[in-house]
Amino acid sequence: MDDCVVSLRRVSASYEGERHAALHDVSLEVRAGEQVGVVGPNGAGKTTLLEVVSGLLPFVLGAVEVHGQPVSRRSHRLRARIGYVPQDAMFPSDTPFLVSDVVLAARFGLSSRLRWPTAGDRSAARSALVAIGISDLGGRPVGRLSGGQQRKVLLARALAQHASLLLLDEPTANLDPESKIEVAELVQAVRRDLGATALVVTHEDGALLRMADRVVRIVAGRLVADEALVGMS
Amino acid sequence: MFGLPWHILLPTLLGSLLAGALSSALGVFVIRMKLTSLGFAMSHAAFAGAALGILLGVADPIWMALVLALLAAAILGPLADASRMSVDTILAVVFPVTMALGLVFLNLAPSSGIGNGALSLLWGSLLGITMPHVLVLAAVAGVFVAVLLVFWKPFFALLLDRKLALASGLPVDGPFYALLFLVALVVATSLRVTGGLLIYSLMILPASAALQWVYDIKKALLLAPTFGIAASLGGAVLSLMVDLPMGAAITIVAAGIFLLSVVASPKRRRARAGAHPV
Repeated sequence: MDDCVVSLRRVSASYEGERHAALHDVSLEVRAGEQVGVVGPNGAGKTTLLEVVSGLLPFVLGAVEVHGQPVSRRSHRLRARIGYVPQDAMFPSDTPFLVSDVVLAARFGLSSRLRWPTAGDRSAARSALVAIGISDLGGRPVGRLSGGQQRKVLLARALAQHASLLLLDEPTANLDPESKIEVAELVQAVRRDLGATALVVTHEDGALLRMADRVVRIVAGRLVADEALVGMS
Repeated sequence: MFGLPWHILLPTLLGSLLAGALSSALGVFVIRMKLTSLGFAMSHAAFAGAALGILLGVADPIWMALVLALLAAAILGPLADASRMSVDTILAVVFPVTMALGLVFLNLAPSSGIGNGALSLLWGSLLGITMPHVLVLAAVAGVFVAVLLVFWKPFFALLLDRKLALASGLPVDGPFYALLFLVALVVATSLRVTGGLLIYSLMILPASAALQWVYDIKKALLLAPTFGIAASLGGAVLSLMVDLPMGAAITIVAAGIFLLSVVASPKRRRARAGAHPV
């Protein structure tokens, strides 16, 4: 399919040292501009699916392609255009990094690793903070922000990267109801601004799921359902 | 000054300054990347290497320290990275083994070898630092700064979070191993200043103290060497004044700086007040 951004064909994956596969024989295609919700119980393999697509998990059988290119742990250039928000990326309170630097660092994979950050990089990071509505937090230590604010910083990173694919792992988990809605709306805004495709893991029947074009369900590492949700959003 | 001629005092002070600045700057990386156990194991591998150098009658045992420290970096890095074994387990095995090897090598060395040379490897020595050692330390400092400047982006991203660095398209394995080898280089070449038993204090205490004061990693990378220089020069002076082993004197001063930083840390004051620091 020409407009296929993510393609998994008969993919099985496991974590090092574990006998049981975290994903079994999963096939999935995501078209350009689609937002696909990934649901399933805890430990079903939702996070593994995102790690496989981003090439972070090295032990994979089957074929994984993003934008028609095979993905592996060495796919650095490809990953530079993937906005990845990991589930466990909460910054401890003593993290010695300012918000502006956290966002700026998201652009480091886009150009030669030997080149120092340019004025263009700094400008893109500033613009991302403004677009997400947290420009006033740029000089604050990232570890001192609330959970919702930290999620916004991670979304700002994706925006600063000019990501063409967003992989979001439970971006609204553990947030209060107001913040959940706010972050879900920001995800939509970021996706719209970037014209990006998105795979969004969630196990909540919330705003993020209602905004999806399709929902796939994973249970015990197997993809058991793939449903279009046209008209729900 | 201190009853010592300048040709002895100058290399001591310069060596202390360089070892303090280098070790503590690198300490920021070691702490942020949770490599304290690995670095600790490497420092003891360097000590065992230096002891082997004395046993083999090598003119300057520091070179053997360098070989064993680099070997430890080459073995321990992949071992820890593969995550089949926890870093604590690796440390629990490597630390006593390298210490035991070091003591066995010193014990086997001919009696003529166990003099000031051997003791300076354990405790550090004012008289053990010569101008050639200072030049080696200066060369290592040059390598460290050059590597840091050239690969600033991957190192900066690694200091934030290894997974986020990899996810944003940066290679992390190369910089990670480069860092381990830098730790080995710095530990081995600074061995004369603090001695094998306490060298790690100069890497961890000033860096930990710096991280008590600032939330900006760039400032931490400047403040840590400042504290490191203060600790190493202060320790050298203390050692001269009250005739203490140099490594012990440096560690006492570094621990003092750390304790003061913990007590006076603006981070803790703000946390207690519940305010968000800027």
